[in-house]
Amino acid sequence: MTAATTPTTAPVEPALRVRSSGTMATRTLGIATIVTMGWLVAFGLGFSPADRDQRDAVRILYMHVPTAWLAYLAFVVTAVSSAMYLFGKKHSLGFDRVAGASAEIGVVFMALTLVTGMLWGKLTWGVYWQWDARLTTTALLFVSYIGYLAVRGLGGTHDQRAKRSAVIGLLAVIEIPLVHFSVRMWRSLHQEASVLDSDGDVDMDGLMLFSLFVGVVAFTLLYVWLLLHRSRVIAMEDLLDDQGLDRALDQRRAEFL
Amino acid sequence: MTDLTPRSGPEPRPGSRSGRRKWLPIVVIAGVLVAGGVIVTQFLRSAVDYYCNVDEVGDRSGCDTNRRLRVQGVVELGTVVSSGGDTDFVIAFNGASFAVHYDGEPGGIFKECIPVVVHGRFDVASNTFMGDRVEVKHSDEYVSVNDARLSEADALADSCETGTT
Repeated sequence: MTAATTPTTAPVEPALRVRSSGTMATRTLGIATIVTMGWLVAFGLGFSPADRDQRDAVRILYMHVPTAWLAYLAFVVTAVSSAMYLFGKKHSLGFDRVAGASAEIGVVFMALTLVTGMLWGKLTWGVYWQWDARLTTTALLFVSYIGYLAVRGLGGTHDQRAKRSAVIGLLAVIEIPLVHFSVRMWRSLHQEASVLDSDGDVDMDGLMLFSLFVGVVAFTLLYVWLLLHRSRVIAMEDLLDDQGLDRALDQRRAEFL
Repeated sequence: MTDLTPRSGPEPRPGSRSGRRKWLPIVVIAGVLVAGGVIVTQFLRSAVDYYCNVDEVGDRSGCDTNRRLRVQGVVELGTVVSSGGDTDFVIAFNGASFAVHYDGEPGGIFKECIPVVVHGRFDVASNTFMGDRVEVKHSDEYVSVNDARLSEADALADSCETGTT
């Protein structure tokens, strides 16, 4: 067993020599995100009109609605990646890293949704918070994914982390239809959808709708950019962990020489 | 053959960085469970106040006049009177209406012809709903202020409809 008794210096993995998670593609994506965010600021705060009832408070929706939709998307990506890990033949940890990265971004977006919603609520409803169906189910969804992230941090091997968090990722996603349809299932202070509603009508002024569209594009680009970087950083962290273990084993082997 | 079985190292000192890192996920999970319980409890406690439309008060099961309610209706045109920090107005829905006395000044975008949700109890003697909280319910329609000015009369008429759903 030469390999077990000879002390060796673990070769540095090529991925660990990389000092940045950026590539030409992510840099281009980052620039596109900044430009689109600039458009969102211009349309959201400048070109789009005030609302008849809400006045300028309507501008909060150009951030509130896209972050809510992108949080849903992020949690769905977490669930799909979790399923790919659990039910795939190779049980590739790449899917687990995408699931974890997407959940982290989803939690940040959901927090932005809640904060902007509370600000809008104070200006429009007259209260920051109300325990009604939409707000309560959204808070529950947010807390569930914080729990998901905490479970990922419990320790163990990468595969143990991937298995237990994949199960939670698949269960937590069931809450999304409950959140979305809560305003139809229960009487709620929160209004029903103005876009993509059940009758297919769009109850929104043209320029307001366009500003909302710009917001969705901007936050989608931001989501993809963050997802690429964060999943690569998680891969690097995993490699560092693995290399740390290799070093520890080499030290133990050296003690016996 | 080298012994590579895991060796138990010294326990992390209380308050050390590695000790904190070990307990952090467990503390977060406990916090999540508590937060989930609080959210569900608050929702259920809030659901005890039945959410009724004006025309259902005293008529629909659960919307009895002897219990605390949340009542939804549209503020009728020309009925808002503010005096001494209190506000009186009439809310209507689906052909029914009654007076509301609110102990305060409503916030948000409260005005005539806008849907509101009032929390409180019905006083049968004065046939008035005694509100302690008023929330403005915004519809799913977003109309530019410029378009509204162009057809102000139509917009006012539309927004003052007392609803059928």
